Amino acid sequence: MSKDKLQYDVIVVGAGMAGSTAAAIAAREGLNVAVIERGVKPGSKNYFGGALYTHALVDIYPDFFDRKPPLERPVTETGFWFLSDDGLVKATVQGGVVNSDPIDAYVALRAEFDPWWAEQAVAEGAFIIPKTLVEDFLYEDGKVVGVKTDRPEGDVYAPVVIVCEGVNNLLTQKLGLIDHDLKISKTALAVKQMISIPAKDINARLGLPDNNHGMAISVMGDVSMGLAGLGFLYTAKGALSLGVGVTLDALQESGIKPYELLQRYLEHPAIAPLIKDGQMMEYGAHLIPEGGWTTMPRLYTDGVLVAGDAASMVNALHWEGTNMAITAGKQAGLTAVEAHKKGDFSAKSLSTYQDKLSDLFVLQDMKQYRKFSAFLKNHPQFMDIYPTFINDALGMFFTGFGKPKRKLYKDILRSLTSRRPLFKAIGDIIAFGRSIIGI
Amino acid sequence: MIHLLVSVKQVPDTTNIRIDPETGSMIRKGVPAILNPYDAHAVASAAEWKKKLGGKLTVVTMGPPAAEEALQECIEMGADRAVLVSDRAFAGSDTLATSYVLAEAIRKIDQEDHVDMVFFGKQAIDGDTAQVGPGVAIRLGLPLVTYAVEIQDINEEEGYALIIRKTESGKEIIKTKLPAALTAEKAIADIPYAALPDLITSLKYKPEVWSAQEPVAYDVAQIGLEGSPTMVAKSGSPEAHEPAETISVEENGLAGAVETALGKMLSNTSVAALLEDQQ
Repeated sequence: MSKDKLQYDVIVVGAGMAGSTAAAIAAREGLNVAVIERGVKPGSKNYFGGALYTHALVDIYPDFFDRKPPLERPVTETGFWFLSDDGLVKATVQGGVVNSDPIDAYVALRAEFDPWWAEQAVAEGAFIIPKTLVEDFLYEDGKVVGVKTDRPEGDVYAPVVIVCEGVNNLLTQKLGLIDHDLKISKTALAVKQMISIPAKDINARLGLPDNNHGMAISVMGDVSMGLAGLGFLYTAKGALSLGVGVTLDALQESGIKPYELLQRYLEHPAIAPLIKDGQMMEYGAHLIPEGGWTTMPRLYTDGVLVAGDAASMVNALHWEGTNMAITAGKQAGLTAVEAHKKGDFSAKSLSTYQDKLSDLFVLQDMKQYRKFSAFLKNHPQFMDIYPTFINDALGMFFTGFGKPKRKLYKDILRSLTSRRPLFKAIGDIIAFGRSIIGI
Repeated sequence: MIHLLVSVKQVPDTTNIRIDPETGSMIRKGVPAILNPYDAHAVASAAEWKKKLGGKLTVVTMGPPAAEEALQECIEMGADRAVLVSDRAFAGSDTLATSYVLAEAIRKIDQEDHVDMVFFGKQAIDGDTAQVGPGVAIRLGLPLVTYAVEIQDINEEEGYALIIRKTESGKEIIKTKLPAALTAEKAIADIPYAALPDLITSLKYKPEVWSAQEPVAYDVAQIGLEGSPTMVAKSGSPEAHEPAETISVEENGLAGAVETALGKMLSNTSVAALLEDQQ
């Protein structure tokens, strides 16, 4: 057995979207990169709704689509569904801007996509070490010079470590880049089922012309039982992915079990027919860091950069996460390359990573949406009152036959004001606006 | 120097297997392929003895190119050499054809470098036949110890091994001359957690790939579909069992509950037929 120490130019912790991207970028520039992944293979610990966003993918590989990526369906229809306890209003958009070439978003399965994404990094020259957990860092003169894994003779050295460890960011905490563990008010638990349904039935039930059309839907209202959270629906080729995400503190305070939420969603009269006679293929759950700016660690220190979920890079309203991870992973990879050129791995040298992200949507959006998670928690009426009102209002408007319409409008208004006084409703809308504009 | 050999198989992870309700066949898409767990324990045992005695450990498998991963896992556990017998001509081989392919491969390896013991897992978790190990042993004329739970000794100098095997009524200690073959239970050895340098070595390892012509020229009549007399007439999922009925002792009293239970059993036609046979 070799007694030489294991030495690389860059160590990446975690082969998720951020990690495999950072590795690809650094390896492409000729650096010797090791990616250490705790799962049996890349993707085996990863999970999402979900859709991937084209802009980020083609930014890393301009010939992305020629590489035959394992994608399910393009998202040709997207938007909101508002659920009341027995009704549904759909506000979705198709065609027009959505019908871009290529389409802006694709439904994918992480268990298939992540190994493929990691293979692209391997093709660039990165080396992936699976089945190995990084437990801590190696220090010299107080600076990180590598990582300690859980295997015998498991020390690995590199002058820069890119931490893409995911939502449960124990290493980031160990470095003191953030002073607290996950906050239950800022972390959502999403549970989902993949339900196998013949593609032709999916197309018929959702009004999709063929297998090259698909949907990404955010579901608001009855789905979260009044808790701060949202549901979703995505179309794979021969399966529907349906799930609900709610914050951990809401689950704790309400005592509602995640599987109860999901079961209730799947039994909703507007949802159940979509999955009739389907076979459950997969049942899974994952934590989502929704604190954004408020739970973001410092992104760098001597010899270390942090990217992806570990750095709370998620935009809960716009369902962005993987694209932020890819974009941040790329910038981390580029920063590592520059540090090698300079021969300087100090925090000061690596701070250009943060500057790069500040020039991009990643940090700009996180800053802008910094109040959104608090807004959601403080305005549960968006989860029950308003979706129900939208159902009632539209339902009444379109069935007000033979009624004086002045009375109809009064009734519609009353269906709102009986639940929420008008001035408060206006206040809520202003608060929503402020939370997304960031003032 | 001892030379141990383990024959392994890459299998779909049957812990989460699904059957297509329309075709009755297994859905392989999205099911991860793993090293057959019994084989993994056999490799672990062979690696322990190689380490203890000093010597060499070779692994061999027949399978598609992707089976390379299973062989890398064997290297990770301490194997020195891995041979992947892989050719489209082998596709569709049943246990008879597979045992022929593996036996000839092992015979070839043995000619180059004498093999003292051949290990198998007791069965593969996908087919559960437990036929390939015994089939290879017979073709090679090796004494066979099935369901081995412990190797007490391998004595190369005097040419014997002491192996404990599990039987339905207990355990047997078998002394066999070498060379010999065994099929392993999981108890034979624990799977080691490899040191990081060993894992890295295994990830970079490329097994030797043998075709149907080179270095062994296989008889085409004995391989693939042609060499496989087994026919699968039908496969599917068994019907779920009826849930057991609960007879409450609180409601019926102990004697009443027993009486009710016995009455229900005796009225069951299959139980009654069984009792008839006993008498």
